[in-house]
Amino acid sequence: MTLFPFSRRPYAFRAAPCDHGPALACQCGSTYPGIFTTGHENGLPTGAMSAQASVPAISRRHFLGAATGSAALAGLAGLFAPHAAMADTAPSGVVEKPDLNIGFVPISCSAPLIMATAKGFFQSEGLNVQLRKTAGWALIRDKLLDGSLDASHLLSPMPLALSLGLGGNAAQPIRVATMQNINGQAITLALKHWHKRDPRDWKGMTFAIPFQFSMHNLLLRNYLALHGLDPDKDVSLRVTAPPDMVANLKAGNIDGFLGPEPFNQRAVYEEAGFLHVLSADLWDGHPCCAFGTTASFAEKYPNTYRALQRAMIRAAYFMQEPSNRLEAAHIMAQAAYLNQPEIVIEQSLTGHYADGLGVVRDNPRRSGFSPYPYPSMAVWILSQFSRWGYLKENIPLQETAQRIFMIDEVRKQAAALALPAPEDGQNNWPVLTVMGQRFDAFHPPSYSKG
Amino acid sequence: MLSQENRLSFFLSFASLLGVLLIWQFSTLPQASRSPYGIPDGNAEYQRLMGRSAVASTVRSDFPTPGAFARNAIEVLHAPFHNNGPNDRGIGWQLGASLLRVMIGYGLATLVAVPLGFVFGLQPVIQKALNPFVQILRPISPLAWMPIALYTIRDAELCAIFVIFICSLWPILLNTAFGVASIRREWLNVIRTLEVRWPQRLFFVLLPAAAPTILTGMRIGLGVAWLAIVAAEMLVGSSGIGYFVWNQWNNLSLSNVILAVLLIGLAGMALDAALAFVQRSVRYAE
Amino acid sequence: MQNSPALSPTFAEPHDADALVQVSGIGKRYRPDGPPVFSGVSFDIRPGEFVCLIGHSGCGKSSILNILSGLEQPSEGGVIMDGREITGPGLDRGVVFQGHALLPWLTALQNVTFAVRARHRHMPRHEIREKAEHYLAMVGLEAAMHKKPAELSGGMRQRVGIARAFCTQPRVLLMDEPFGALDALTRGMIQEELLKICAQTQQTVFMITHDVDEAIFLADRVLLMSNGPDARLAEDAYNPLPRSRTRETMHHEDGFYTFRNHLVDFLVRRSALAQKAATG
Repeated sequence: MTLFPFSRRPYAFRAAPCDHGPALACQCGSTYPGIFTTGHENGLPTGAMSAQASVPAISRRHFLGAATGSAALAGLAGLFAPHAAMADTAPSGVVEKPDLNIGFVPISCSAPLIMATAKGFFQSEGLNVQLRKTAGWALIRDKLLDGSLDASHLLSPMPLALSLGLGGNAAQPIRVATMQNINGQAITLALKHWHKRDPRDWKGMTFAIPFQFSMHNLLLRNYLALHGLDPDKDVSLRVTAPPDMVANLKAGNIDGFLGPEPFNQRAVYEEAGFLHVLSADLWDGHPCCAFGTTASFAEKYPNTYRALQRAMIRAAYFMQEPSNRLEAAHIMAQAAYLNQPEIVIEQSLTGHYADGLGVVRDNPRRSGFSPYPYPSMAVWILSQFSRWGYLKENIPLQETAQRIFMIDEVRKQAAALALPAPEDGQNNWPVLTVMGQRFDAFHPPSYSKG
Repeated sequence: MLSQENRLSFFLSFASLLGVLLIWQFSTLPQASRSPYGIPDGNAEYQRLMGRSAVASTVRSDFPTPGAFARNAIEVLHAPFHNNGPNDRGIGWQLGASLLRVMIGYGLATLVAVPLGFVFGLQPVIQKALNPFVQILRPISPLAWMPIALYTIRDAELCAIFVIFICSLWPILLNTAFGVASIRREWLNVIRTLEVRWPQRLFFVLLPAAAPTILTGMRIGLGVAWLAIVAAEMLVGSSGIGYFVWNQWNNLSLSNVILAVLLIGLAGMALDAALAFVQRSVRYAE
Repeated sequence: MQNSPALSPTFAEPHDADALVQVSGIGKRYRPDGPPVFSGVSFDIRPGEFVCLIGHSGCGKSSILNILSGLEQPSEGGVIMDGREITGPGLDRGVVFQGHALLPWLTALQNVTFAVRARHRHMPRHEIREKAEHYLAMVGLEAAMHKKPAELSGGMRQRVGIARAFCTQPRVLLMDEPFGALDALTRGMIQEELLKICAQTQQTVFMITHDVDEAIFLADRVLLMSNGPDARLAEDAYNPLPRSRTRETMHHEDGFYTFRNHLVDFLVRRSALAQKAATG
């Protein structure tokens, strides 16, 4: 029995050059079990050592001192509180709570949730899931926190924001059970801007995003900043529900949006806009939506939690298979799910699409699906939170990331299903390439705004 | 036989309906150009992906024509009670869900507001003491209550009911208090000289005497409740006519949104007519 | 019966031993620092007597009646009825209000039934109804008893009011200018009926009026109030006419004109003088 679950995974220490065990890892605080698995191509001790050397900048003691009295402290105190409920019981344990309410927002990102329901993946895990179509992310958040949803479709930054108590909420630990999808978003511009393809010309424009704690917001800000625009000063960003994005684009109230599918393609279909760039071309493999629940739910119903994970992993693998995409589009188009024209969903899922400027394009990587929540991606999200001022305190990025994006749980359940491991093998901390720039979770760049 | 005036007003409403339909038809005529900003038409595959059939050379307008609306309305109203799980139910279900919520919230408001209104009307001291609070709470919009309700009550269903309750409470309360306070002195003297006991006073004199005014408050309250429920359901609903509007808007289906808007209006009218009927039955001539 | 009006002011105590109602020195002021509307009013009402109170507007006539009914409290003095002080309204005193005060959402029958049920709480339903119908028949309203007040004429409404007051079989009937709003013809008819019923039932009545002929026709005694403010009970005049009088023949009776002139003279001249005398 160890107190800190994140230091409790023996396989995390496989490549450790100096194996001083879980207890020591906790005491010194600066030693991250995760860093020893940092691949750097082959997981050589040198790479690991260099990574280790970079981390102590934010020790736990340092964090606790710095964040005293802050909202984040309360949140993290909960995060790091000892709990032993996540016992490694056999995956076939009895499901404690078979009848579940799961929320989703009707966008293509929820494809794995819809497939897990429609294709019976939940059912074969002994779960009776009722999907609840929900009107927005704020409502998803509220309903998840008040328990009227057992688990939910979430934007992947939401579990981090909620666990840290950002955005005015009391901190409440949330877990990413699985990731749902990668890529699958786009920047859509109004048709009248067909000649303004250089973001440097976008000064003064208004863009819509679906939620503050969304990949859409972070990607758009990153993209604008990359092209020399200050997203807080040079453009205005407006939180807007996706259907309102299309309507406002048509009405001319906004100049563009970085929104979820199928609304980008829908804007094309409605002849309101064109696809400026796919998110797959900004950061291939970026996470978008997650599937998560409260830590308390996961601890109270560990078998149910793992059953949910397995169903969602199967659904993500199902969706990732290109030959299943047309069937998925057909199911998702139904009134109970996305309630959208099938041909629109089809284009965003298959990557064979009209771009809105008279050209048919093909990009099979337009939409992707992966259940693996890489903590390095969480670190990127957290670093963006700091960059844009949502996160004021210094927190241990890697530790927090690993506590919420628990990829090893997912790997274990995927292995239990005998599904093939992803391309990167067991590497939990891949170095990311975001808009052409290298992002190492152990050397996050220090952004100087403006 | 209709009177001259009735015939004229019938003709005028028919003419205005016709006028609206004509303007609607005219303003939703298919647009000729479909290549704004010189964007090329694209090849046949592009046309297919854009949902343009090969034969039709015109672009669908966003706003449905009256004909398209009518076809869609018939289709939707054909199976108003279809039920494919909680996320896809017929418009009849949705209307029913909204009505049920209104009945609960509004019923509770009536149960609270009428007795409280009696206390206010009979005890001017209490009315004076509590009136400032009522006056502050009364003008708050239903939607302003929503976040507070969500944060305190949490359960979305209860929130919607609470919002209806809190919005329909005030007009019923104030009208009841006014109705009771303005009961004619001599009727009160009659029951005093007859030594009528309190339950009889309440049910045979005070209540019937104040009933028309109470009913006025109840009609206003019901109107507010119906306004509030649609808004609340658009925000937090998982069922109801407000949810239907949101869900159809999510699909940018204006036809269905218009249909829902018309049904909301008709249902509101029917609710008011029902109460107006009750009001007529308790009205008395002095 | 005396042939000449008794001009003895009844300021004096003590009361008659057999008086049903003893009014002792009552007065009313609405503001503690202001002058009283009236003060020092004392008189008796004996069983079976029909007493009318006449005075100009503002002398507090209605207040006196309300004090008798218990709806108002006197600022000074008190009223004793049947040996007990009146502290509030009660079923032993029936009131016919100035406006008819019928409950407009009830039919004539329901209005009377309501009063019968108040009086006889445990009486079976059909008996209550029979009793109500009886009193409505007494005032000649059998045909209209299922109509609501708004559908009745002014005279019929006041008859319902009288039936409602009678049906509770009160010890004293208090009537506050009950016929003031009626036309002369209707008024005369109802006055005759009232007198007949009172004679049959030996009903004790205290009535406010400003109509001298009404008082002469109905009353055994006429109480005269001086003008307000600080009005007083100026005279207690016995009606010299026989009780068998009718409206048609009344003015042929001996002493009619003497009595009438006395009353009219009081109202026109002496009521103001009495006020001066009283207030100094």
